Amino acid sequence: MNVFLSYFNFLNYLSKFQKFIFYFLIILFFIFFLVSISLGSFNFFLFDLLTYQPDSLNKIVLYEIRIPRVLLAGFVGASLGISGASLQGLFRNPLADPGLIGVSAGAALGAALVIVLGSNFFSEYFFNTFALPFSAISGAALVITLLYFFTRGFGYEGITYMLLIGIAINALASVGIGILTFISSDSELRGLTFWTMGSFGGASWQIIMPALVIIIFTILWMIPSARKLDLLQLGEPEAYRLGIDIQKLKFKVIISSAIIVGVSVALSGMIGFVGLVVPHLVRLIGGVNHSYLLPASAFFGGSLMMSADLLSRILISPAEVPVGLLTSALGAPFFLWLIFNSRKI
Amino acid sequence: MSINISSLTYEVDNKKILNEISLKIELGEILCVLGPNGSGKSTLVNLISGNFEATKGDIFFDKVDLKKISIEDRAFTRSVMTQSQPIVFDFTVREIIEMGWLKRGNFNFSKDFKYVFNQVVDEASIENLTEKKFNVLSGGEQKRVHLARTLIQAWRPSNSNDPKYIFLDEPTANLDINYEKKVMEIVRKKADEGIGVLLIVHDINLACKYSDKIAVLKDGFLLGFGSPENILTEEILSNAYDLPVKVIKNPLSFEY
Repeated sequence: MNVFLSYFNFLNYLSKFQKFIFYFLIILFFIFFLVSISLGSFNFFLFDLLTYQPDSLNKIVLYEIRIPRVLLAGFVGASLGISGASLQGLFRNPLADPGLIGVSAGAALGAALVIVLGSNFFSEYFFNTFALPFSAISGAALVITLLYFFTRGFGYEGITYMLLIGIAINALASVGIGILTFISSDSELRGLTFWTMGSFGGASWQIIMPALVIIIFTILWMIPSARKLDLLQLGEPEAYRLGIDIQKLKFKVIISSAIIVGVSVALSGMIGFVGLVVPHLVRLIGGVNHSYLLPASAFFGGSLMMSADLLSRILISPAEVPVGLLTSALGAPFFLWLIFNSRKI
Repeated sequence: MSINISSLTYEVDNKKILNEISLKIELGEILCVLGPNGSGKSTLVNLISGNFEATKGDIFFDKVDLKKISIEDRAFTRSVMTQSQPIVFDFTVREIIEMGWLKRGNFNFSKDFKYVFNQVVDEASIENLTEKKFNVLSGGEQKRVHLARTLIQAWRPSNSNDPKYIFLDEPTANLDINYEKKVMEIVRKKADEGIGVLLIVHDINLACKYSDKIAVLKDGFLLGFGSPENILTEEILSNAYDLPVKVIKNPLSFEY
């Protein structure tokens, strides 16, 4: 029981206002979930769902298509939000984002490699649930490891450096994906196009269940590092003197970010700017300490992604806008605004 | 109870930054390290803090080898204030000070904390800054916030006898003489409460007035270690700074 309670120690570091925002974001997450499952090319009314049994077609749409899809959007949003927040904390850089620094591209390259070169070797189930996510995670981890070495351990002096390296890695990954596109067959090409634009259309219970479990446990594993990320903002030597094992912390943040970004990219393709924008908005609302920022970014990222997915489904219904296009269209101007307003870049 | 440093040597690329340094930091005393720029003072602090690992020699905290103390336990024994790095995100002063509070793993966060927080904020004279953003403060104010954070880390309940040490690397840089005096008086008070203090300052007068022991470093060598009267001689100081230094006893006995 104590162990269980002590997990929630991070709540002690939240101010009253931050707690209020945090609980509000949790509620918001569930509201967006309910709204997202009820709207689309088929509309379900929330209250009707409670009272009557939907007929069989509606039922299939709701339980087999809509709910997995919305869940996936919510969890991918949460992953990108929290990994953006923790990477920004780790790099001590407000511009860090799994997309900008090349982590998503690494994951996409990993995924593309398996799609084009590996799909013949595995059964479909094994391929979708294990081979693809594993390859995407490895790609993400490889990129973060490269960044780590090139920025000499993510030191403060390595910041601009890191973004430049991100550009280079993004370029290299596009080359890789380009080559794979060139040699791919028609059916593989369809799969590849899906990565570059991002979509939740492929969600089914069978595919998302392992991913959801991985994402939930990784996020739960990340949250206790929040206080340590706060201390890290004083600089590595200071954080060390306050009792933080820096190497362990770096390892944990890097690996956990790679896992959830890798899984997310494996299932939904490259969805840009969410990891950058969400932590900034969360900071603007309630403050910068990571005990608040990490969990709040997860819930807010989830809400944002579910609403983006909802938009992508209803904007030109019954057709769909790829959700990655939508988030980039909204996120890129925000990023520009951020650059113009930032004092420290 | 003391920190014993014996034959401490630190090399980078075969260049000796510190050479066979032996010192002792006693509880309840202020040891002041003097020396010209580049003499190895900050390196010494980094070694004793555990940030750097010595090439040769030993550091014992109360007879326990520093290498055998976990990173977490070290934080409970010593707290360190050095030249700080810029902080990117907009933390409030309260949050920065809170970072020094190590008492973890229970829900009694607010009980002792409020009392100690008010105490260190009062000591560092930053009562009216606590709700401000850290990054809008002046350099001197930021320094005092970091001092408060260092003090809160070194806090112990009144019924505890755990040895505590504070290492301060130029705590008075950027401060006007009023705050300089205040900071030195806090440091003196902490030493009188039984905390061992290692202090680096450039102002020889400050060192002389407030410290119990003085060590003088030059080019990584220890020129002298002992009481201020024995160490602050014209011979040692002239040698350390490569300048003819004349020692005059202050007729006001070092009062400002």
